[in-house]
Amino acid sequence: MKNFIDKLKKLNSKGNYSIYLVLIALFIVSWMANENFATWGNLSNISRQIAVGTILAFGQTILIISGMLDLSSGSVLALAGVLSVSVYTMTQSLALSFIVGIAVAVFCNILNGLMVTKFKTPPFIATLAMMAMARGAALMYTKGQNIYQIGDYVVFGQGSWFGIPNPIWFLVITLAITWYLLKHTVFGRSIYAIGGNEEASNASGINVNKVKMKAYIINGIFVGLAGIIFMSRVNGGLPNGAIGFEFKSLTAAVIGGTSFTGGVGTASGTLAGAFIVGFLDNIMVLIGVDSYLQQIVRGAIIALAVIYDISIKTKRKRTKLIKAK
Amino acid sequence: MKKVLALLLVLVLTMGLLAGCASEGEVAAPAPTDTPAADGTYRVAYIARAQADSFAAWMANAVKEEAEKYDNITVDIFDGQASDDVENTLIENAITNKYDAIIIQPNNGEAQRPYAEKAVAAGIITITTNARISGIEGASSVDADPYLQAKVNAVAAIDQIPQDANVVVLLGPPGNFHADERRLSWEKEFFEMRPDVTIVGEEIANWNKDEAMNYMETWVQANPKIDAIIAMNDNMAAGALEVIKDNPAYADTLAYGVDGTAEAVLLIEEGRLTSTTLQSAYALAEALLDTADKLLTGEETQIDIDIDCPLVNIDNVQEYIEMHKRAGAIQ
Repeated sequence: MKNFIDKLKKLNSKGNYSIYLVLIALFIVSWMANENFATWGNLSNISRQIAVGTILAFGQTILIISGMLDLSSGSVLALAGVLSVSVYTMTQSLALSFIVGIAVAVFCNILNGLMVTKFKTPPFIATLAMMAMARGAALMYTKGQNIYQIGDYVVFGQGSWFGIPNPIWFLVITLAITWYLLKHTVFGRSIYAIGGNEEASNASGINVNKVKMKAYIINGIFVGLAGIIFMSRVNGGLPNGAIGFEFKSLTAAVIGGTSFTGGVGTASGTLAGAFIVGFLDNIMVLIGVDSYLQQIVRGAIIALAVIYDISIKTKRKRTKLIKAK
Repeated sequence: MKKVLALLLVLVLTMGLLAGCASEGEVAAPAPTDTPAADGTYRVAYIARAQADSFAAWMANAVKEEAEKYDNITVDIFDGQASDDVENTLIENAITNKYDAIIIQPNNGEAQRPYAEKAVAAGIITITTNARISGIEGASSVDADPYLQAKVNAVAAIDQIPQDANVVVLLGPPGNFHADERRLSWEKEFFEMRPDVTIVGEEIANWNKDEAMNYMETWVQANPKIDAIIAMNDNMAAGALEVIKDNPAYADTLAYGVDGTAEAVLLIEEGRLTSTTLQSAYALAEALLDTADKLLTGEETQIDIDIDCPLVNIDNVQEYIEMHKRAGAIQ
C-alpha cells in the first residue's frame, strides 16, 4: 500500500495528475456511499447528463487557453437548438436540421469573433452581448413557447449506436477533436502561444486574429452540436433551455485545470472536471442530500478541488526552482 | 472601412431577418408615449414576470390577443426578466408614464407589493395576477388558486396511487408562491391522508423539463419501483416521463402535473400523464381584460376573481386538445 502511494506521488510530481486523483477519490467515496452508483446504468446516465455541458466545455477550453471565453454558449445553444428543431418540424429532414443547428451557432460565434478581433471588444463583454441577443432571438422566434411533437428528431439525443447512447458518442468525438487540435496541430500550438503571451506570438509571426477567429468557429460547431443534442434529449424545442450552461461549462474547464490567465489547459482535464461535477450531482441525489445543502456542497467541493490543484502545481514549481538552484 | 461597413450591413440584415421571422407574434413592448391617446382609448401596461418563463409568455401572448377584441384598450407588454429589480423599475416607469391601468404579474409578490401600492396611490387602476398580491387596498386581482390546482389532482390521486407506493416529487423554484402552495396542497390533501406512501426522491427542478429529466434518470437507478411522479407543473412531469417512456418496468407509473400545457394534454391522450389541472392562460387573459374594462369604464371599483381550475384526464382530454388546436399550439 505504501509503495502504491509512493508511486502515485511520483506520478503526480511528474505531471499534472492531481485533478484525476480527485476524480478517482470522488468515485471511490461515491461507490462506498451508495451501491447503485457504480452500476453501468448509472455511469451511462451520468455520461449522458454531462454530455451537453462537456461539449460546451471543450469549446470553452480552447477559448480560455487562448485568453478568451464564451458567456453566450447557453443562449446560442438555445437559439441554434430551437431553429434546428423548427427546421425539422417543417421539413422532416434530419440532415438539414443538423446543418442549420450548427450553422446558426457558427454564425453567432463568427459575430463573437469579429467583435473580439476586429473591434477589440473584450471577450467577456462581446459574448455577454451575444448571450442577451441570442436568448432574445430564441424567445422572439418561438414567442416564448416550447416546440412540441418533434418526432424522429429525438434520435440525436435519445438514440444509440452499438448499444452506446448517441450523446456519449458525440462526447467522445468532440473530446478526440479537441485533444487532436490542441496536441497535434499548428493551430493548437498557436492557441497556447497566444494565451501565454499575445504580443510575443504576434511578433513571432502568428496571425493572432485568424487563430482567435478559428477558435470561435470551432466553439460554434461544438455549441451547435450541443444545442441539437439538448433539444433532442428533452424531446422539444425549449427557447428557455440551458440557462446557466455557460457557467456549467466554464466550471468544468476550470476544475479541469484550465487557467483563466491563459496558456494552460487540456481536453482530458476538462473531461475530468466535468465528471467531478457529474459524479457529485449524481451521488447527492442518490443518497438523498437536502437540495439546498446540495448547492453548498457543490460550491465547496469545486473550491476545494481547484485549491488542491493549484497548491500541487505551485509546490511542483517551487521544487523545480529549488532543484534548479 | 469597407469591411466595417460590410459587417454592419450583415448585422442589420440579420436583425431584420430575425425580426421578420417573429413579427407576427412579437411580444416586445412598443415604446409607450407620454401623452394619453387622443381618441379616448385606455392605455394599459402589462408587466409580465418573464418572457423566458413559458407559462408567463403564453399568458402575455394571450393578453395581447385578447386585447385586440377591445376597441377602447391598448396594451403594452413589458418583460420583468424574472428579476424583482427589473419588475419594480418597470412598475415605476409605468406610473411615470401615466398609464390608465397597470397589470402586474409579480416575480415575487412581497417584493412588488410596495410598488403596486405606489401605483394605487398614484390613482392608477392596479390589477395583480398569477399570483395575486393580496391585501392591497384599492387594487384588484385575477388569479387561479394554486392550492386548489394541486388539490384536484391530489384528491384524485388518493384512490389512484396504490398501497405502500414509492413516489417522487418535483418542485418549482423555492419561494415562488405557486410552487410553495401546490406543494403544501399535496402535503395536506394527499401525504397526510396516505401515511403508507413513501417519498423516495424530492428535488427542485425549477419548473424545467431538462432538470426534471436528470433527477428522474438518477431516481430510476436507485429505485426499481416508482409508482407515481408528483410534479408541481407539467413541464417537469413531462421531463420525468421522457426518461421512462420506453421502459416496461415503469409502464404503470402514474404522473401528475399542473398547467394543462399542449404537451401535457397530448401526454394524457397517450395515457402517460395521469392528470393535470388546467391553468388556462386564455381564461386568465379573458378575465384580466374584462376586469380592466369594467374598472376603466367605472362600471366597478374593485374586483377579485379566481378562474376555474378543472381537472384534465383521459375522460375529458379531447376537449382541451381542441382548445389548444384552436389556439394553434397543437397541429
